[in-house]
This record gives sequence, C-alpha cells and structure tokens, in this order.
Amino acid sequence: MLVTGKGGVGKTTVTASLARFAASRGKRVLCAEIAGDPAASSALADALGVDHLDIEPVTVSENIKAVLLAPHLGHTKFLRDVLPMKLLADAAMRSAAIRRFLAAAPTFPEMGVLYRLLDLVRMKRKDGSDEHELIIVDLPATGHALALAQIPASLLRIIPSGPIAAAVREGLDLLTDKQRTGAIVVTLPETLPVSEALELVKGITQHDIPLAQVMVNRVPFDPFSEAEREAVRAILSGRGPTLGERTMERIDRARVSLARLQREVTVPIVALQDIWLDGPRLAEEMASLMGVESVA
Amino acid sequence: MSNRPPDVVPGLGDQTTFVDPLVRTKKVIVCCGAGGVGKTTTAAAIGVASAVHGRKVLVLTIDPARRLAEAMGIPEAARTPSPVPRAKLDELGVPVQGELYAWMLSPEVVFESMVRRLATDETRVQEILNNRLYQHLSKIVAGMQEYTAAEALYTLSTEGKYDLVVLDTPPSRNALEFLEAPRKLSMFLDERVIGVFLPKKGAFMRAASDLIERVFSRAFGEGFYKDLQGFLGAFSGMFGGMRAHAEAVRKLLSSEDAAFVLVTSPEPAALAEAAFFQTKIKDLGLPFAGYVLNRSWAFTRGFAGPEAIELGSDATDTDRVGLKKLGQLADAERWRAQRDRDLLARLRMETESGSAIATPHLGGAVEDLVGLGTLARNLVRIESA
Repeated sequence: MLVTGKGGVGKTTVTASLARFAASRGKRVLCAEIAGDPAASSALADALGVDHLDIEPVTVSENIKAVLLAPHLGHTKFLRDVLPMKLLADAAMRSAAIRRFLAAAPTFPEMGVLYRLLDLVRMKRKDGSDEHELIIVDLPATGHALALAQIPASLLRIIPSGPIAAAVREGLDLLTDKQRTGAIVVTLPETLPVSEALELVKGITQHDIPLAQVMVNRVPFDPFSEAEREAVRAILSGRGPTLGERTMERIDRARVSLARLQREVTVPIVALQDIWLDGPRLAEEMASLMGVESVA
Repeated sequence: MSNRPPDVVPGLGDQTTFVDPLVRTKKVIVCCGAGGVGKTTTAAAIGVASAVHGRKVLVLTIDPARRLAEAMGIPEAARTPSPVPRAKLDELGVPVQGELYAWMLSPEVVFESMVRRLATDETRVQEILNNRLYQHLSKIVAGMQEYTAAEALYTLSTEGKYDLVVLDTPPSRNALEFLEAPRKLSMFLDERVIGVFLPKKGAFMRAASDLIERVFSRAFGEGFYKDLQGFLGAFSGMFGGMRAHAEAVRKLLSSEDAAFVLVTSPEPAALAEAAFFQTKIKDLGLPFAGYVLNRSWAFTRGFAGPEAIELGSDATDTDRVGLKKLGQLADAERWRAQRDRDLLARLRMETESGSAIATPHLGGAVEDLVGLGTLARNLVRIESA
C-alpha cells in the first residue's frame, strides 16, 4: 500500500492509523518510511509512538513492525544479487567512490529504495508465508511520489537490458500489480488540496499504479441540519464578523470539496474526521474510527 | 472577507514586523518549512511586500500552487522569469511601486542553460544535450529540484537583475535537501568520484576503475556504461565551474545579504519539523530571521461572540438550535485562538530576537490576489491602500 499526497495533509498519521487498524484485524503489518537525514526526527516514529526507526524492521507493537527504507541497503542487496561473488559486491560497496556516487547521483537513491522495498516484499517466514502481509509505505510529498513512479519506466528506456533492467521491471511489475499494490491518495477537504489530489490521481493512473482509494483527512464535524444551516446564515447575514462563522465557512468548503471528489474520482472516498489530538493517540483514535466505519 | 476588520498582529499593535526590514534590505530571502504550511503563498506575499517598497523582486518557486500561479498570470515551464502583469498587481489591494517577477523552475530549463553557459563550445553542448543519460537526468524530478534551485539562485544572484530573490524551497520532507544541495552537488561532481568512471591510463586509479567498470558493466550492461562514460567525459570540463557555483551559492546564503524565514502552521507535525529546521539552519551557519506562523486562528479581535445575538420573538426552534450550535463552533475557535497565541509566544521565546509573527486564517481565499495582498500587508503591517 502506497500512501501519497501533498505535504502536510497527514499521510503519516493515515499510515500509522491504517497499520493499527490492519494489525487489530490480525495482519502482520510493516510500516515503511523513506530514510532521509539521519538527524531528522522521523514523523512516522512519532505517529507510532516510538523513539526512532531503524533501517532493519523492528517491532513497535503487536503485529506492527516499522522500518526506514535505506537506499544503500537496496544497492548492496542489488549488487549481491547481480554480481557473481558476494565478495565483489561488498568490495564495491566499500569503495568510497561508488558509495558516494550512488548516494549523490540523482535517481540512484530512489532506485535503492525501490529495490529495498522489493526485498522486504519478498521476505518469507519459515512456513513459506509472507513475512510482511501488508507493507504500508509513507511516501514523501507529491512531486517525489510521482517521480518515484516515473523512474522505472524512464530507466528502462536508457537501460533496456541486463540485470538492472530485470530488477527495474520487477519493481515496475510490483508497482503496477492490482493484486499486490494499491495507492492511497490523502488530501484535505479544501479547494486547492482537492485540485492537487485530482492531479495526483491523474498522474498515478497514467503510470498504471492501481489507485485504491482517496482519503480525505481532517474533515470538520458538521453539526447542522440543512434547515439549521439556512437559519444561521440568515441570522448572520448583515452582521459583522462573528466567532464560529469561519468554522462554518470551513464546513461549507469541506462539503463542496467532498462533492467534487465524488464527482471526479471512481475509487472509494473515505472521510476522516478532524480530531484534535497528536502523536500516537491520534493514530489510535483514527484507527478505532476506521473500525466503526467499516462495520457501518 | 470584506466585512471583516483589518487584521492586527496580536501583541504587536501597529508596529512593523521582523519581515519588514528583510523585504527592504535583503538580496535573498529563503522560505523554508514542512510541506503544506503555505510556503509558496508566503514567498509570494513576501515578494509583494517588497515590491510595495519599490524594489524589483523575483519569486522563485519550484512547486507552485497552480491556482496562485494562474491568479498571478505566470506561465508554467517558462525559460525565463515572467513579470506579473500590472493589471494583476492592481488587484492586490496594496500599492505596488516596484516590479514583481515570478518563475516556476523546471530542472530541464535550468540544466540546459547551465550547460550552455559552462560548456566550451557548441559541439560540446550538443554532445551533452543529446546524451541519453543527460536527457534522463534532466527530466527526473526526484532529487533534481534541489540542484536546480541552487543553480538558478547562483545565476540570478550573479546577474544582479533583481533587488531581491525570494526562494520557495522544494517540497521535500524537511526541505533540507536544498541546504545540502550545494554540498551534495560538489560531492557528486568531485573529480575523484567522477574520475574513476572515465577511461584511465595512469596506474594510480586503475584498480578502482577496473572494479567499477566490472560492477557497472555487469549491473547495467555495456551500453549504459559507455553512455555514462560519454556523459561524464562531456561534463568533465564543466566540473570546476559547477563546483564554483555551488560554493558561491553557499557563500551567498551564509552572508548578511540572505535571510531564512521559517514558515509553519499550528499543526504539531509542522511545528516539530520547524524546530528541527531552525537547529539545522543555525548549525549550517545560515542567517535565521524568524518564524511566520501561518493559518493561525490567533486573530479574534473584532469578532463578536454569537452569544451576543438576540433572536427576535418570531425566532423558530431551528433558529435557536442553529445558534446554539454556532456557539459551540465559536467556543472551539476561542480554544484554537488561545492555543495559537500560546504557540506564538513559545516561538518568540525560541528565537533570540523574538522574531515570530502570525498571519490570519484566510480560509479559502489565499489563492486569489486580494488574499495575497492581505497576507503581504499582515506580514509587514503595511497600511491598507
């Protein structure tokens, strides 16, 4: 499952909530975040209620593991798979020049991430079942998510054959396989974020990545019946600025945004209520709401 | 919007803010912060505020809010900065004396102009532009935006066409890659790294070179390795120039001519990133100017409480229930206002000069020109036109 969307829409919270929800249903879940600056605080770690994440999966709670997708592990694994000797691969990765080249050259880090993800997808338990039944990837902001999706196809054009091409093709197969992959676009119930989400949906579809659903985060609770709404509008008209009015406007924008999404997107749209909590408590609360909604 | 009172910065009265001297004197203002906090809009508003002071300003953006771009009349993927039309400036509702330009960066365009500037002759230029690898790299968005931003900033600052360049940093998770870009760029372009890919005669690098050739030929296939060598060979004459650019950008950003403004929203995740970012800016020795707390609810002055509304004798039950519910929304707004004021106070304490300001919650209106003008006014306290 790929969780994507514009910055600040709550992708990480959605990732953590989905993980908790699936784990509560007995699935073995792995939450993944793309490794960045090692000094940077991990948003996903906060949402899961742990100190920090590691480049190898660690258990954070029952049925939930979390991992940072480190490009260099993908590179190492790839070279080991491709080169005739493990020794040669390790020597190559020890070479400062190669390491620095892979870290600094554009698109190579993304390739490493993709290969690392493939590796985690392929991991099996002793009984032959998947080690991670569900992997939820918290992708960075829109531009990067689409870029990640465009890289395999673009790379195949410049490297049409050889082991890299085979690995890229496998990555592409995984990303575009309806059975195994689903993208979740997260957005907010406001005009501009919805426009951007619709563009993202278009981009994802163009890259043949199966879209699973659109999640609208922070949907304000609407306490009014239609009649009450009209009545309050009538009362407020002609008055100066009143407290509560801006929230009403926000509710109106949310209604318009949801209606627009419903018109223009064919996949299910899930509205997540605005909850004034943060960190792991927010993810817990949202996961419990997901449970309620799926029963209802 | 029109029936609302002018917004006042809480605790500052009618004074000017820390942004005011920046827009008058600086040559580069960098807006940083987490994604989705309104960086692009803030960058545009800072540009407007500076143009009000008669300066010639360029707003450089990488991930533009499309509607904002449309509202300002800026074309996408232009090869050079475009002036915001006078008619659009007049719609802002603030007196713009100077000139405002905007440019949405595209990696392709920036890279091509860099190649043209640094390559020794036209044959070289064509050789590079026609290389398959170059075409791949220049079109890929991931990781390239940061190089692009640094390179564009170099060009613009050396040309000296603009009094001020406002940079909206790339939408990367921590917006940190931009700061690291010059360093990363020079790392990638380090001849010691690049050199091992080039055909070598000397014995010194041969062992490393052989290893790399084996690894890459095996992994990518012969064709790719040849392409890579061709690409790097064609580029090799330009490395010195590119490294010099990277260093010049770093120097410019560390100087008194630059200022870093941290944009954040009241959301906990955005705040956490902002705090981390502040440390990072200081660690890198870059001039941190202050916080802009965007989308805050801190402004309640001039708003009446719905409790004060008295319903007439003809009021229905629906009216009464509706009004009561409005009262609950009002309570929630008061709570948020208090939270955001506390937050602002905390941010002021975290900056040495107490430089933190809040901009009002403009709802859905920020993407239009009037909203942008209002935001610009609030950033510096320019009197309403």
